[in-house]
Amino acid sequence: MADSRILHRYATSLLETSLEKNNLEVVTSDIQLLVETLNQSRELQSMLESPVVRPELKLNILKEIFSKKISKDSMDFVEFVISKNRESLLNTIGKRFLELRDDHLGIANVFVTCATEFSNEQKNVLQGRLEKILDKKVRLNFKTDLNLVGGFIAKVNDTLYDASIRHQLELLRKQFLTGEISLN
Amino acid sequence: MAEVRPDEISAILRKQLSGFESEVDIYDVGTVLQIGDGIARVYGLSKVMATELVEFPNDVIGMVLNLDEDSVGCVLFGESSLVKEGDTVKRTKRVASIPVGKELLGRVVNPLGKPIDGKGAVNTDKFLPIERKALGVIQRQPVKEPVQTGIAAIDAMIPIGRGQRELIIGDRQTGKTAVAIDAIINQKYTHTEEAKSLGIKPVYCVYVAIGQKSSTVAQVVAKLQEHGAMEFTTVVVASAWEPAPLQYIAPYSGATLGEYFRDNGMHSLVIYDDLSKQAAAYRELSLLLRRPPGREAYPGDVFYLHSRLLERASKLSDDLGGGSLTALPIIETQQGDVSAYIPTNVISITDGQIYLESSLFNSGVRPAINVGISVSRVGGNAQIKAMKKVAGSLKLDLAQYRELEAFAKFGSDLDQSTLKTLNKGARLVELLKQDQYAPIPVERQIVSIFLGTKGYMDSIPVADVKRFEKEALEFFEVKHKDIFETLRKEKDISKQLDEKISNAANEFLKVFKKTV
Repeated sequence: MADSRILHRYATSLLETSLEKNNLEVVTSDIQLLVETLNQSRELQSMLESPVVRPELKLNILKEIFSKKISKDSMDFVEFVISKNRESLLNTIGKRFLELRDDHLGIANVFVTCATEFSNEQKNVLQGRLEKILDKKVRLNFKTDLNLVGGFIAKVNDTLYDASIRHQLELLRKQFLTGEISLN
Repeated sequence: MAEVRPDEISAILRKQLSGFESEVDIYDVGTVLQIGDGIARVYGLSKVMATELVEFPNDVIGMVLNLDEDSVGCVLFGESSLVKEGDTVKRTKRVASIPVGKELLGRVVNPLGKPIDGKGAVNTDKFLPIERKALGVIQRQPVKEPVQTGIAAIDAMIPIGRGQRELIIGDRQTGKTAVAIDAIINQKYTHTEEAKSLGIKPVYCVYVAIGQKSSTVAQVVAKLQEHGAMEFTTVVVASAWEPAPLQYIAPYSGATLGEYFRDNGMHSLVIYDDLSKQAAAYRELSLLLRRPPGREAYPGDVFYLHSRLLERASKLSDDLGGGSLTALPIIETQQGDVSAYIPTNVISITDGQIYLESSLFNSGVRPAINVGISVSRVGGNAQIKAMKKVAGSLKLDLAQYRELEAFAKFGSDLDQSTLKTLNKGARLVELLKQDQYAPIPVERQIVSIFLGTKGYMDSIPVADVKRFEKEALEFFEVKHKDIFETLRKEKDISKQLDEKISNAANEFLKVFKKTV
């Protein structure tokens, strides 16, 4: 967890430079690509984490993969991270950067878990309501989980908006346990 | 078991489940990163407060103690094996609190206020946080009313006032708990009509048992019940088998219970039995939370641990109702070493201490109070005048006796005055011996000490002193009942009363001498 301070420093500096250079959009898409690739390829990630592979080699590999697909500024950042021997954190730095960027642009990432797939109309209604409550632009990420029985849970940072039947049943169970409902 | 009909259940379910759609519950969550040894590190819970209660799965409750940069350190009040890595933790937005009120009297509860005596739920909706700030200077006043412990040696020489903090310290098996239990039993008198007519306000008691065997606690509760003291007492228990966090918060819970009475113009007596075990529990907790260890591996804030607890004892100013919280913390020493870390800390915090010694205990002086080094720094102001008068000469006589005690071996080689001092001292020590669970009302204490210090016992063999005291008190009770009544009402020994007691004592001595 001591890493989180490091992540924060690298990610903030990348965000600030890209704001200065006015190329936030380009850098964002570059980093998105980088994070996605690293997530998809376990081998690439473990190569970066491996202390056996020399940093120069790591840089060469990354250059070969990305140099044609991402901008020069982003590549410079990757090179910088490797030169500081933080290449194992590249993936998480990227994720942190995307979070900071969303924060900066006032976008809230909302993770919605629902029992059944929402229709587009429902999604729009939910988005509208959440944007009103949070006073931010909302990006929805959907996931289904049958354990909820019904309803949905929306997660914004650490706060849950819980409208699931599972939660209601849990509350009911607690009421029975504490004797708030008596059977006679 | 009451029978439950399925149709009733479905009716209730239907009733509860209607209005279902509109309910969206909003709460904050975190994720368990690491769990073990009763400590959980949680990621998330970003707005959580220190000492806030949090909910883990399987109804395990925890309390937030460490707020770190990236994670939150929680202690668990339940089984840590029921919580797994990756589990969701919910905020309750409630700092640790306990139900308070007169409804808790006669009950045995755990430090979170959950009854464990099988007498059902506690019907009170008043909750107070267990960690509360101590009062400031303006809200307080010096102690002025006595807490009678019913133990002659304490009430005469180490008096305790309402709102005082008096430490009971000694090795294991020296009768520390016995002193405290006797003090509780003696408060029964304050709840009688007679006490009310004399203007003595009732004292409500809280006994906090920390890290003791459950069987010992059961024994204490049974004794209190037997002597009718449970009606005005709450027992807070965190037994030895319970997780360290519960043992750590137990005294604070007890203090909160006592504060309810104090803040409502009533009086309370809280006993913390014992704080050395609480300090050990806190040490365990702190080390698991990776706080740096200091002397004897206790964390740096172990002084604050006890000072913030004992500072909550106080006598309120008359504007605030004049209530009081008297604290009797107990500390167990190892081999009589009072210069260890925790004993010195608590000695410096409290307003005096009662030393119990195993050598005295083993030589038959029970309660085994070493009156030479026991002190009460403020209790003297609270003593009633009559007691002050007789106790003055008692202290002096005993001090002289201790000085000459070493010469007692020489027997007849000593001069007359030395012999006289030694004789009197031996009789006074004998007089201050007292059985357990037999508290003596203050007016009887005064009369027996009067008889002792004025030399009425000097001509009686030491072995007969206890019998003399018993029979003398019976004689006074039957023939001179007015003496006790005057003492109770006027609380002072006037010249006439002094003469009256002397005459009665002479009368009794003549009768008694025939039986020796």
